[in-house]
Amino acid sequence: MAEGGKFDHLGLMNIQADTRRHFLGWGAGGLGAFFLNSTMAGAAPAGENAPLDFTRDPATPLSVLPPQFAAKVKRVIYLHMGGAPSQLELFDYKPVLARFHGHDCPESFVKGKRLAFIQGIPKLLGPMFPFHRAGKSGTWISDRLPHLEKSIDDLCVIKSMKTDQFNHAPAQLLVHTGDPRTGHASLGSWVTYGLGSENQNLPGFIVLISNGGTTANAGKPLWGSGFLPSVYQGVACRSAGEPVLYLDNPKSVSRAERRKVLDAVDEINQQTYRTFGNPETVTRIAQYEMAFRMQLEASDAMDIHREPAAVLERYGAEPGKTSYANNCLVARRLAERGVRYIQLYHWGWDSHGTPVDKGLNVGLVGRCRETDQPTAALLADLKARGLLEDTLVIWGGEFGRTPMWENRGGQEMEFIGRDHHPNCFSLWLAGGGIKRGISYGETDEMGYEIARNPVEVRDLHATILYLLGFDYRRLNYPYQGLDQKLTGVKPARIVSEILA
Amino acid sequence: MRPDPQTHAQTHVRVWDLPVRLFHWSIVFLLCLSWFSADQGYMRVHLVSGLTLLALLLFRIAWGLVGSTTARFRNFLHSPRRVAEYLKGLAGGDKIFYAGHNPAGGLMVVALIAVLLAQVATGLFANDGVRFSGPLALLVSEDVSTRLTGIHGLIFDLILLLVWCHVVAVGFYLLVKGDNLIWPMVTGKKHRSYLPAELNIVFTRLYIALLLLAVSAGIAAWVMIQGDL
Amino acid sequence: MEDRAGLSGRLSAAAYFGCVALLTLAGAGLAMLARPAFAHGVLRTLGLETAPQAQSRSFYATRVAPLLETRCVSCHGARREKASLRLDSFAALLLGGKHGPVIRPGDVRNSELYIRISLPASDERAMPPSGKPPLTEDEKTVIRLWIADGASGALQTIAGAPPPVAEVKIPQDDPAAAQKQRAALAQSVRRLQARFPGTILYESRSSANLEVNASLLGSAFGDAELLALLPLQARITRLDLSGTAVTDTSAPVLAGMPALRSLRIGGSRMTQVTIAALRQARALKSLTIGSGQAGHGALAPLLEKHIAIYGGGDAP
Repeated sequence: MAEGGKFDHLGLMNIQADTRRHFLGWGAGGLGAFFLNSTMAGAAPAGENAPLDFTRDPATPLSVLPPQFAAKVKRVIYLHMGGAPSQLELFDYKPVLARFHGHDCPESFVKGKRLAFIQGIPKLLGPMFPFHRAGKSGTWISDRLPHLEKSIDDLCVIKSMKTDQFNHAPAQLLVHTGDPRTGHASLGSWVTYGLGSENQNLPGFIVLISNGGTTANAGKPLWGSGFLPSVYQGVACRSAGEPVLYLDNPKSVSRAERRKVLDAVDEINQQTYRTFGNPETVTRIAQYEMAFRMQLEASDAMDIHREPAAVLERYGAEPGKTSYANNCLVARRLAERGVRYIQLYHWGWDSHGTPVDKGLNVGLVGRCRETDQPTAALLADLKARGLLEDTLVIWGGEFGRTPMWENRGGQEMEFIGRDHHPNCFSLWLAGGGIKRGISYGETDEMGYEIARNPVEVRDLHATILYLLGFDYRRLNYPYQGLDQKLTGVKPARIVSEILA
Repeated sequence: MRPDPQTHAQTHVRVWDLPVRLFHWSIVFLLCLSWFSADQGYMRVHLVSGLTLLALLLFRIAWGLVGSTTARFRNFLHSPRRVAEYLKGLAGGDKIFYAGHNPAGGLMVVALIAVLLAQVATGLFANDGVRFSGPLALLVSEDVSTRLTGIHGLIFDLILLLVWCHVVAVGFYLLVKGDNLIWPMVTGKKHRSYLPAELNIVFTRLYIALLLLAVSAGIAAWVMIQGDL
Repeated sequence: MEDRAGLSGRLSAAAYFGCVALLTLAGAGLAMLARPAFAHGVLRTLGLETAPQAQSRSFYATRVAPLLETRCVSCHGARREKASLRLDSFAALLLGGKHGPVIRPGDVRNSELYIRISLPASDERAMPPSGKPPLTEDEKTVIRLWIADGASGALQTIAGAPPPVAEVKIPQDDPAAAQKQRAALAQSVRRLQARFPGTILYESRSSANLEVNASLLGSAFGDAELLALLPLQARITRLDLSGTAVTDTSAPVLAGMPALRSLRIGGSRMTQVTIAALRQARALKSLTIGSGQAGHGALAPLLEKHIAIYGGGDAP
């Protein structure tokens, strides 16, 4: 690859820094200085938010950088159950709610509250499936996850997650980008920005989707890079067929010819860069080169045909199809190959009880069957290979479900369902740095509010970044006059009680 | 028996102009209001009260340069030696009268204006650690703002001390010397027997006072707007 | 004509100033009463009173004081004394503020401090005031139990108190110190990083320890290459040799690495000879092997040393 012009990093930062916020800040500060002795005015910015330096050669934007302090984990596998799995049918056992099944819900549950679809006074809905204590830790779990149950002593189940979003798209954006609106960088982008990726021949942030198209709910912004350079965005790969569409050369084009085309494109891009100085151009060059390297490695990484039959059976994977099981197996292969952040999405957990597929008694059962075995297999596989000790595995949705029986439009419904419930939901973590075999946080007896130890989404983010070796306040990026952080502007708490 | 107005006019001379009198009693009222509103937590009232004080103080300083004879600083600001001499004389029973502020009084005026200005100034940058902060508080760091808030608290004690001295002094003149300084500050007029024989008081036009007040109010309003930006 | 200018002097100067002095003292006395903390401070400075102290291992010192420090002292401490109340010492806490004591030992319901922290966040008088996060249930419980048990400065444990939450201490950055520690090997590190790109990395920005991931080089990395890393061995904490061409010849080298905590040898050419040699490894805490690399017998001595063993199942 031809050498590019020298990258004027400093110049670009200078231009980007002169925003309106800065102008106003300087202007007012100047006037203030008239009134005050200069020894009093303008103390230096607080050291605790001083940003870290992530400058890299733009030709290798994913090169590895060390974390701020010694990390407990090196990579993240996030299993997102889209649509919001019902915690009351999986992890949060509410025997008192069971006693009140079928009764009218208390007025306080609905008065003055914004609910997605419930109207009037709905009935209370007890847990639809039996619960029991599992493993040596005695963690409560329903009978819907018999495979995961075997790994229960490796999990840390948080039952007191809370969010303030009650609709899917903004809630998913909050969970994955730290803000309910689009335009912010996703967790995977922050992680690859901060740490790079060990394998330069694969994207650092890969997304695998099952049971739904790519545009379900919040869509691509969930793995977008927001204001971070676009090279850090997630790459959605397919687990059947070509990993990335159009990655392979057309039949008549050889690899050598492709190389020549890329060299030509490279020269043109270099000229463009010399003329306009836009660093995105250099990134684009890097991405073309990455795609070229990916042609060999991505297909190999995602090709589960090569796995022994015993492994395929353990996951329930079927090569050639798109499934959550296949994605879990691919996730393990990607983890082994040094991919930094692997995001799986499995849609269809939105158990309102409207169409049959979304009923608790049907849809949820199906979702559990699709995901239980592969998730458990993934955990066991990572553990056997010694990868679990430095991987963080996260499983969860975007909010919880109501203890009330959904009555859409005030009508009784044919299939059983629950409405959206932001007040409390369940999520589990496993892997390096996490206490094993514990439950954290409690909801009240009806499963309506959190009773102990609430965990905000930003607290979860702060904890994840801590495990990766970052102070969440210092992993920031200047944009629009603010040092943007994943956790946003409100202070976050690292949940020390779940750390090993 | 009601005093004969004509005789009254012969025995009583106008010494204090309207702006000075209004200024004095407004300050008294605003000080009380500022104290009460801060104590009870009515911070918006405290802000408006403080800014009004700022406007009035700025006005008084300007008026002290172009106002009536008794209002002007140069007519009642004396050297420390002069003040000491005056106080010695007072203790000794001298009967030296001044039309406007006597040297000791002049010192009190300056001290009070200075301290009140300092109070207003520190108040502009103060914060109550929770919801409320002065209009210019964001121009300085939180640490500086907190320190200035502490100073604002200390100056309050100083104001109380000065006001007590002022009241004691006025009381002294009233109860020991028989010289009522309070009523003239209301009506503007003082009995001839408590004034020096030679009097030459020139009163500046009221419209100039109004002009100066408008400018001062403008400055205070501008400061308030800084807080809303 | 009647002198309307004022009363003729009635009091003598002495009488007047005598009255003033009395009034001033009375006023000062009232002020002291209004600020009990100030009054007590004066008495204590004069030695007329001793401030109550709490013992350093008491429940107050270990649970209540740190709580107050994090949540309350920013407005009720040395920097700021809202409502003349300080909560940064045992004596000050018992003293109270402008409106009197905030703690009534043994009586939680009438303790203003507890009342305020239990108010709903929407209440104007709630503490901490709106904008600051309210105390958690556990924190309120700690304060409630402490007051109920007599607000003691001596009691060490209180039944039913929730366990303390460890605050996460983010390690302090000291790039200068890290630079110093790295200085000794810095040149060798740079040289070897150039020779084996992308494999040698510092553990973190503030550490001089090194992590080596040779698996990325595959069979291009063998015994000779491992020897090249010897100059760095004092600092290598993690070494990944999965899928490399390293053989049992390197066993003594690996066993001799003084700082090595985590080693991965799956898919390499090493056998149980190396595993046996690793018995001598000083700092080893975890070992990942590949399928068929060792029989259970070979692993036993390592397991006795509480080294975590992974793998040995399917081939990667």
